[in-house]
Amino acid sequence: MRLARRATPLRGGQPRAFAVGFIVALLLGAVLLIASGFNPLEVYAKMFDTSLGSLAAISKTLTRAVPLGLAGLAVAVAGSMGLWNIGAEGQIIAGAIGAAWMARLGPDLPGPVLIPLMLLAGILGGALLAFGPGVARSRLGVNEIITTLMLNEVALRAVRYLLNGPWKDPDGNNFPMAPRLPDQSELPTLFERANVGLVIAVAVVALFGIFASRSAWGYELRVAGSSAKAAEYVGISLRRKILTVLVLSGGIAGLAGGLELAGSAERLNENIAGPGFGFAGIIVAALALMRPSGVAAVAVAFGAVQVGGIGIRTTGVPGSIANVLQALILLGALTAAVLSSYEVVRGGRAAPAADASAPVDGAAAV
Amino acid sequence: MTLGLAVELDNIWKRFPGVIANAGANLRVRPGTVHAVLGENGAGKTTLMNVLAGVYQPDDGVVRLHGEPQRFSGPAAAIAAGVGMVYQEFRLIPRFTVAENVVLGAGPAVIRKRAIEDEVAALADRFGLQTTPDREVWQLSMGERQRVEILKALWRDAQVLILDEPTAVLTPQEADELGRIVAAMADDGRSVIFISHKLDEVQAFCSEATVLRNGATVAGSLAVEDLDGARLAELMVGEATEVSQRRIRVSALSAEVALEVRDLTVHDNHRRRVVDNVSLQVRAGEIVGIAGVAGNGQRPLADAVAGLTSATSSSISLAGTEVSSLSARQRNDAGLAYVPEDRLGVGLAPRLNVIENSVMRSYRRHDSGMFLDRDALRAETDQLVQDYNVKVGEIDGPIAALSGGNLQRLLVGRELASGPTVLLAAQPTRGLDVQGVAAIQEILVSQSQSGVGILLISEDLEELLALSDRLLVMHEGRVVASFDPETASRTDVGAAMAGVGGGAP
Repeated sequence: MRLARRATPLRGGQPRAFAVGFIVALLLGAVLLIASGFNPLEVYAKMFDTSLGSLAAISKTLTRAVPLGLAGLAVAVAGSMGLWNIGAEGQIIAGAIGAAWMARLGPDLPGPVLIPLMLLAGILGGALLAFGPGVARSRLGVNEIITTLMLNEVALRAVRYLLNGPWKDPDGNNFPMAPRLPDQSELPTLFERANVGLVIAVAVVALFGIFASRSAWGYELRVAGSSAKAAEYVGISLRRKILTVLVLSGGIAGLAGGLELAGSAERLNENIAGPGFGFAGIIVAALALMRPSGVAAVAVAFGAVQVGGIGIRTTGVPGSIANVLQALILLGALTAAVLSSYEVVRGGRAAPAADASAPVDGAAAV
Repeated sequence: MTLGLAVELDNIWKRFPGVIANAGANLRVRPGTVHAVLGENGAGKTTLMNVLAGVYQPDDGVVRLHGEPQRFSGPAAAIAAGVGMVYQEFRLIPRFTVAENVVLGAGPAVIRKRAIEDEVAALADRFGLQTTPDREVWQLSMGERQRVEILKALWRDAQVLILDEPTAVLTPQEADELGRIVAAMADDGRSVIFISHKLDEVQAFCSEATVLRNGATVAGSLAVEDLDGARLAELMVGEATEVSQRRIRVSALSAEVALEVRDLTVHDNHRRRVVDNVSLQVRAGEIVGIAGVAGNGQRPLADAVAGLTSATSSSISLAGTEVSSLSARQRNDAGLAYVPEDRLGVGLAPRLNVIENSVMRSYRRHDSGMFLDRDALRAETDQLVQDYNVKVGEIDGPIAALSGGNLQRLLVGRELASGPTVLLAAQPTRGLDVQGVAAIQEILVSQSQSGVGILLISEDLEELLALSDRLLVMHEGRVVASFDPETASRTDVGAAMAGVGGGAP
């Protein structure tokens, strides 16, 4: 038995595949919950209530979905060209540092001026962190997976250095923490917990999705993603494309960092990237099959699972089991994502293409 | 009854999703004969042979060896039963010696190099194979590597040897050598199954032939000596076709030079000189053919002229304008069209749809600054598909769903859409079926008649002789000979391809 790429993707089959994956995961989770002495119906009801059951719950879920969606978009942008940005985590931190720096420079600027400047600095921070890997990859062919991954650690050390050194709060009783951000730097509230960051994130994902699918730039990106050699053949500069795509990817992740800082953080801290928003972005992008159009929906679903996972702890379910439940749901969805573009084939050989006029002789000669 | 037959494939059916590869195919091979299996691409030849070699299990039908029904669980079982197969792509370990490759997996537990080298040499002598058991495989030519594959099968005492299009990688001389080897095996009482779609080889090497069409046997065990080429071709394609008709050449060629290449030298990644000081000229309306065994610099030559590979010292001019400092895109804009050897992967982007692939050269003209004009792209694709008779299911469906002939017509049509001065065509008909080949050749000829200068790189000598106005031969990166196709003999061209003798360049 082996996996083979489907000749044509399962059309309209993805939502169905996800639903099946989700149900299977819930059933497996139910077994686990019963074995641990909990009532699965009760737990699942709580999970739903705390993530989607009320306006307040929905606002929490959507607020979570903002960094997840932007990180997912960042990974998907690179992924659509066959590049792996594993450094969204570090780029979120770099973005937050950039935004915090702007707040330090202009603490007395009015909010409508300061906030855009902070977000811009966030984008620049993330883009700057991705610039090095972009140059290394496009000029020297250095694998961007390694460089972006290692820069995560660099960004984390940098923020720790700032919190322990130059940016340490003088009134912080010697704790390694930055001073509080100025009040006017906080993003205006939209409803309940949700802030304007949600609107910005939705706009970025939507505009980028439209631009990528309709512009010449996006077309060239698809050609390069499908075959680097075909791109060279038509004269698309791969070097420039790789650099712009990685910098853009970093900038989008940096925006997530800026929005986190201006949205939900009181001050710059080393957990600004939450429970690994950058790494979760990789999963979001994979579930969205590297398509910007899928990122938003996946991010909201992922946010709901995370928020619900925290919510069920009030029913006495230990954190470890809550984590296993989250992981099960993710695995179910990932399996569904894989099976919607691949199929299980029995036997060890590749089947020929589905077209009856395809050269069978060629397909069979391994 | 089945007495006296070495191989009997009876009513074999093999289905794949969406394709019936074998639909009741039969094959009967007598011991001590060389038996040709003929058919167009997609006729089911390779699938049928994979059934015999244990790679596939048939959905229906019986495989008998010497009258005994067999049910192979895999290739190992078929090898144990005496069936060996030499694939088009060799399965050898480059760093191992010939002898090590031959005995790999079927040798003594402790391998003493000298001992197995002697044994392999003795085996090779028995069948008149020239080989050097102590040399490492990476040093060998394609013909020598093929002999190693044959030795592997003989080492395992194959009574039935399947050769899948064995001459595709050989020079004419190496092909003749192969003919002697298979004759020696037949004399030894073994059976050789020779898959091919080249009629002249079949007539030279084989005594009987079975013809497949659409997965079924249309003629079984014909005596080759009673057949002529036209009859075999008719059986293969199912209608009378004219074989190897030479092009009616335009007598008065234009004096206008479409493409001029001077002193072109290309180095590969290992700093080897893969194109060595090549100069050539293509006039408007002329088809200049480049013959050569695969890997003698044809691909880097084409890539360098197209601007995809950098050349160390050269001058390339298009209709008198120097283009060697221009990028691939600028050269295309200047009137250089290129049909690359790798259709799907270089010429076309496999995961994109038909529209996206059709506009690869022209999309910038439909850029309004912000977005591409989708209606214009679609209209252009519709036109292309119609003009070149490309059969597509859906115009926004994946390109990978198209068959080889349709892919190539789309690619060639796209390259010609802008009205180029020069068309660079690398292996434009390779792997296509007879109708597909004819369609592409027709396009090439009609384009040359309307004044396009064509540089045609091909491994099919018949095609080159039929289409070219002038024929150049490449060997080890150099143009070693030049022929007039009207008067050139296959032997002379073959000798030049192999690097011996030949006319003045």
